[in-house]
Amino acid sequence: MPGSKPPQERTVSTYCYQCVAGPDLLTVRVQDGVATEINPNFKAAAIHPGGGKACVKAFGLVQKAYSPNRVLYPMKRTNPKKGRHEDPGFVRISWDEALDLVADKMKAARAAGLTDESGFPRLAASFGGGGTPTAYMGTLPAFLSAWGPVDLSFGSGQGVKCTHSEHLYGELWHRAFTVCPDTPLCDYVLSFGANVEASGGVCGVKRHADARSRGMKRVQIEPHLSITGACSAEWIPIKPKTDSAFLFAMIHVLLHEIAREKLDIPFLKQRTSSPYLIGANGFFLRDPETQKPLVFDLATKRAVPFDTAGIDPALEGAFTVDGIEIGPDQEIATHTAAAVTPAFAHLVAHVKSYSPEWAAAICDVPAAAIRRVTNEFLAHARVGETIEIEGMTLPFRPVAIAFGKTVNNGWGGYECCWARTLIPCLVGALDVPGGTLGTTVRLNRPADNRWSSVKPGPDGFMYYPMNPTGKDDWISRPTARSAHRTLVPLVANSAWSQALGPTHMAWMMQKEDLDHLPHATPPDVWIVYRTNPAISFWDTKAVGETMAKFPFTVCFAMTRDETNHVADVLLPDCTDLEGLQLMRIGGTKYIEQFWDHQGFALRDPAVPPQGEAKDFTWIATELARRTGLLKEYNIAINRGGADVKLKGENYDFSLDVTKVHSVEDIWDASCRAASAELTDGVETQGLDWFRANGFRVKPFSRLMWYLYPKLVEQNLRFEQPYQERLLRIGKELERRLHEHGITWWDKQLAEYEALPHWRDLGALWEDALTKHFQVQIGDHPFWLITSRSMQYSWGNNVGIQLIKEVADNVMGHGSVVMNESAAEKLGIADGDLVEVSSPLNSTKGKVTLREGIRPDTLLIIGQFDHWVTPYAKDFHAPSMNALVPMLLDLTDATGSSADLVKVKITRLEKAA
Amino acid sequence: MTRWAMVADLERCVGCQTCTAACRHANATSPAVQWRKVLDIEAGSFPNVNRTFVPVGCQHCADPPCMHVCPSTATRKRPDGIVTIDYDICIGCAYCDVACPYQARFKVTKEDFAYGAEAMQNEIEREISERLGVAQKCTFCSDRIDFGIDNGLAPGSDPRATPACVNACIADALQFGDLDDANSNVSRLLREHKSFRMHAELGTEPGFHYLYDKAAAAPAADIKPALSDGQAGRMRTRGVEPWHQKHWDWKASGNFLCGGAGAGLLGVVTIASFFGIPALLPALAALAIIACGLGLLIFKIGRPWRFMYVLRQPQRSWMSREAWVAGLLFPLALVALWSGNRNVLVAAAIVGLIFLFCQGMILEQSKGIPAWRNPRVIALIMATGFAEGCGLFLLLAAFLPAMAVAAKPAAIALAALALIRIWTWWRYLAALESGGAPTRTLEIFTACRMWFFAGGLVLPLALVAAGLIVPVAAAVLFALAGLSVFATGWAVKFILITRAAYNQGFALPHTPIRGSGVPGPAVKPGWTSP
Repeated sequence: MPGSKPPQERTVSTYCYQCVAGPDLLTVRVQDGVATEINPNFKAAAIHPGGGKACVKAFGLVQKAYSPNRVLYPMKRTNPKKGRHEDPGFVRISWDEALDLVADKMKAARAAGLTDESGFPRLAASFGGGGTPTAYMGTLPAFLSAWGPVDLSFGSGQGVKCTHSEHLYGELWHRAFTVCPDTPLCDYVLSFGANVEASGGVCGVKRHADARSRGMKRVQIEPHLSITGACSAEWIPIKPKTDSAFLFAMIHVLLHEIAREKLDIPFLKQRTSSPYLIGANGFFLRDPETQKPLVFDLATKRAVPFDTAGIDPALEGAFTVDGIEIGPDQEIATHTAAAVTPAFAHLVAHVKSYSPEWAAAICDVPAAAIRRVTNEFLAHARVGETIEIEGMTLPFRPVAIAFGKTVNNGWGGYECCWARTLIPCLVGALDVPGGTLGTTVRLNRPADNRWSSVKPGPDGFMYYPMNPTGKDDWISRPTARSAHRTLVPLVANSAWSQALGPTHMAWMMQKEDLDHLPHATPPDVWIVYRTNPAISFWDTKAVGETMAKFPFTVCFAMTRDETNHVADVLLPDCTDLEGLQLMRIGGTKYIEQFWDHQGFALRDPAVPPQGEAKDFTWIATELARRTGLLKEYNIAINRGGADVKLKGENYDFSLDVTKVHSVEDIWDASCRAASAELTDGVETQGLDWFRANGFRVKPFSRLMWYLYPKLVEQNLRFEQPYQERLLRIGKELERRLHEHGITWWDKQLAEYEALPHWRDLGALWEDALTKHFQVQIGDHPFWLITSRSMQYSWGNNVGIQLIKEVADNVMGHGSVVMNESAAEKLGIADGDLVEVSSPLNSTKGKVTLREGIRPDTLLIIGQFDHWVTPYAKDFHAPSMNALVPMLLDLTDATGSSADLVKVKITRLEKAA
Repeated sequence: MTRWAMVADLERCVGCQTCTAACRHANATSPAVQWRKVLDIEAGSFPNVNRTFVPVGCQHCADPPCMHVCPSTATRKRPDGIVTIDYDICIGCAYCDVACPYQARFKVTKEDFAYGAEAMQNEIEREISERLGVAQKCTFCSDRIDFGIDNGLAPGSDPRATPACVNACIADALQFGDLDDANSNVSRLLREHKSFRMHAELGTEPGFHYLYDKAAAAPAADIKPALSDGQAGRMRTRGVEPWHQKHWDWKASGNFLCGGAGAGLLGVVTIASFFGIPALLPALAALAIIACGLGLLIFKIGRPWRFMYVLRQPQRSWMSREAWVAGLLFPLALVALWSGNRNVLVAAAIVGLIFLFCQGMILEQSKGIPAWRNPRVIALIMATGFAEGCGLFLLLAAFLPAMAVAAKPAAIALAALALIRIWTWWRYLAALESGGAPTRTLEIFTACRMWFFAGGLVLPLALVAAGLIVPVAAAVLFALAGLSVFATGWAVKFILITRAAYNQGFALPHTPIRGSGVPGPAVKPGWTSP
């Protein structure tokens, strides 16, 4: 059809990993050397859970490559003054000058010491959504590894834009950095705002569409009817941030209204801590000799260590038992003939008052609805049934509970995650076929798969790499500006931990130090890639002002944006279709990425770089060379800094550590090592093979989708329902902080409860806003919430015309979504220009009226409010990010908050 | 035989627009030209709300109205059911656009790029200049299908032979295949599911089927009643409710304004000639008016230099027929005037009458515009044409003494025609209201009722009566009556062709189940149903 002269054509295999729901494997049609079309990679249909399809965001990549708005040459700032209203005066410079400029600053920082007078790394870096930039930054991780300590704690959305609570608690309880249903087998899903049809990517959409076709029922519980709500069998419009009450009421129904034998009693007895006896101080009652938690054996009528063979432990009942409790700092309390009950009995008593009628008033959901879905959940759970997976017989429990992000971060996140993990335990549906599964690990190690991170820990539970809270080992001097290891034991100390700490606190402390922590110095050098925290975080006005004070900022820039507006140097890297990289695929990963294969995919450049854009690996190599870190950099690559170790048992493709290697040589070695890794050294094909084939995989056992078999193998238990370990750690942390005079974290310490109590989160938010802004909170009657957009989320693609065009087909984009009846009362009509104001700030936009939203709720989809980014700055779309204040009072114990705020709405102009 | 068809499973579709983007890529369409897109429809009242995503585009109808109306033969239907457009023949009249009840057709008149005036490399590489100024729409990616068949590949299962939207669909909601093959994927899906076709009541027999429930499910006796605007449920949609068609603008309306009035005048002049009124000047005026209308059309079409192609399809297209009739009308009328032969003049007037009928039929055949396709529009167009012609006659009579003698009978005829016209107007409106119509169309017509009644009937009747009572002022009063009838006729036709011309929009006889439950109510946003 198109064109009269037949073009020279070729097809290039690559991947899209613009969002955490990827990677999508795709092909690029290249005509006369120009990328013209994105297509699925049907060669991958058999191995990719999404059938080799690519999501809508990938179709923006062609315009991303050829956008006239790209930064095509290195630039340097000529105006030393920084700020929103300062013209940076960027002028074009050579790569040589740009890299020397950056390298000189880095060398100076290094010469002054890797950490500064406060103990913080002098080099800081911020990367975008969910670690996806690593799929595009080539060997930069190797450079950062060669460098040494880097402060990654300046967040760009983490904690408030992610499912933070399940990242931490999920990893603790079932190696679940994120959680999802076992969708291919699940029959009934309770989804509290999980927007899988918008943010689950190709795999999520495909798996859920298949599940609907075979009759899976999903009940969507959320304040507005999202895309996922639309695709669900039922929508229950719950009041924002009251999900924990709904969930607690479900537990109440299961424990107080349903015959006990309908629960999965064997699972509770053998795979959870339900039978563990609880001492008077709230800690496990232990065997004085072995210090193991005691259970009461109904067969022998005596207390025995939990791992005694052949016992029938009691779940309920009161027993008189001798034993010890181990409290904080290993303090031992000895009990003789103590009257104790098992953890399960404590749980039953704990939820007694949380009836559906109680929850109904909080959630604005009829008690009958809560009761009905609980009974439906139980009815679908098939307690007692089994299924065979790859020859192994496993429990089959096709019911699951999924969470969206505002349910799953900030205050209330603990309660919700606890309930979401506990309810499956009650019916034996945690991490078994059909049930609620963890996806991947990011805090536990090793991270190659969930099973390999399972190691025996204390008390029959899995090991978890808590940050120490002991008197001698607590990290009183933070290693990063968020104080993540100091304040949040659960955040561990992996390469991801900094990004999961209270990243907003790194920004907050730049404005005002917190008592008894080191002075929050700015980083000497700040590197920014694929992120725009001046738009994407909360209280973006303050974030923007803070970053303007950083002395030297280097931004890798596709186009100008609000963050690189304060940069000193702009470096144009190759966009997605231009750069070369090998990336691991398969296994189990975020959201709904459950593969039957694992291996590697190549991002093969489809087209040459535009302008003077450079491959990221070339940039990293040059930085290493110019900062004198070439050897360490090459060593880091050899060690696996480019996603694959170059040396294994049967192969060695290590780079000569003394030499500068070309981009192609580095990735050729990686491809060879990847081939060898997948074939146990039998095959060693390199870059050319991957270019011809796109990807290479080997089978991944479906058994590894489930943690249950691994726990059985190691005779371990899920750490539910009683959080003795968290209780102890909380007490220890309290002591450490108080010993250092820190009392500003006391509110957060209250979250360390063995059995969480319900918190009135609405009041918590309102009180915090009232206290900090001296407002009459009644003047702000609406909850403002947000929702992800498949077209935009994580994509860094707001400046792409095609994305805007197709996103506009979906209701709500670029406007304030409001309930029709609520709008009528305020005289607001569809299309009117309104101002939405929180106590902190305001935003303007047009109103879209819908029936699919609660009358007390407003919705602003996505993140906009751009004032520099070409194309996007003309959207005039509202954004909630500037409206949400960063407050310690709104920060929970895991260091996160939730993306919502109380607001008022005022009409500015009638619709044209 | 083969019948290619698309099946969209509404239970699976998530409205992600990946098909939209893939289509834009595969077919290199201009920004905002979405041959395939997915609608977002919300219906009901809080908290009983459902939201449905509906892929739409050319439905490749078995009985495609776009093909029937196409005057140039550019739009055709292949034996395998695919409706095609030949860009080299299309004149860009956009008749197909207003004939399509699925809003599937586009016309781009000037180059448009993603980022303004400058084309990006990919846009230069994929520039398709032959599409400028002509109709374009989804082709079912017929080039892929043909490639597949030529190379032994199965369309619908082999991606190389399958439409791009189907290939790209991440929910596998879109499927493509041969309906005449009982074993095809689409035949199987239709057996296993309950399905509907959009606007089935229009008889176009679309090749696009929507699945909304499993076939095994019990008959959904509890399906709630249909929802349309003004009823209990409210609807919020994006690009779903009827919108104002833009392709037939004031220039297109000019043909109906001038053509109707001119043909009417010619008829009145011919009748008057039997009473000794010289026909030459008024008949020339009538021809000039008709010519003006036709001339405007040439400026309206996207490819003016191809205007003669309008004659290619007299077998089916009323636009072609109008052109042929116009081609006969002018020489016949000129011969009549040159020769003074009244019989030839009568023949010309009859041809003018047919021309007027053609105009009515052009509108009636526009299935995409509910206000036009109502059969009663024909009588309205003809009645107002004659009334306007008579009005013009009286206007001319005020200036041409030779015609003045016929003013009185013409005024009486005018009164009669005004009465007939208002009767056809009321009948037309009643039909629209009883049959259902876009709400905006009815609102616009409702706003016309009073002034059309007053200016198109009451005032001229009063003026005619006054003229009969006060002969001394009769010429002026009759002329004013004529002007009133003429002006109101033009005004109402202008509104009919432009402002009230809302298209069909989209509607669903069922909203789908989602995993479990029963289908939801029918929705027809932007419509006032009977």
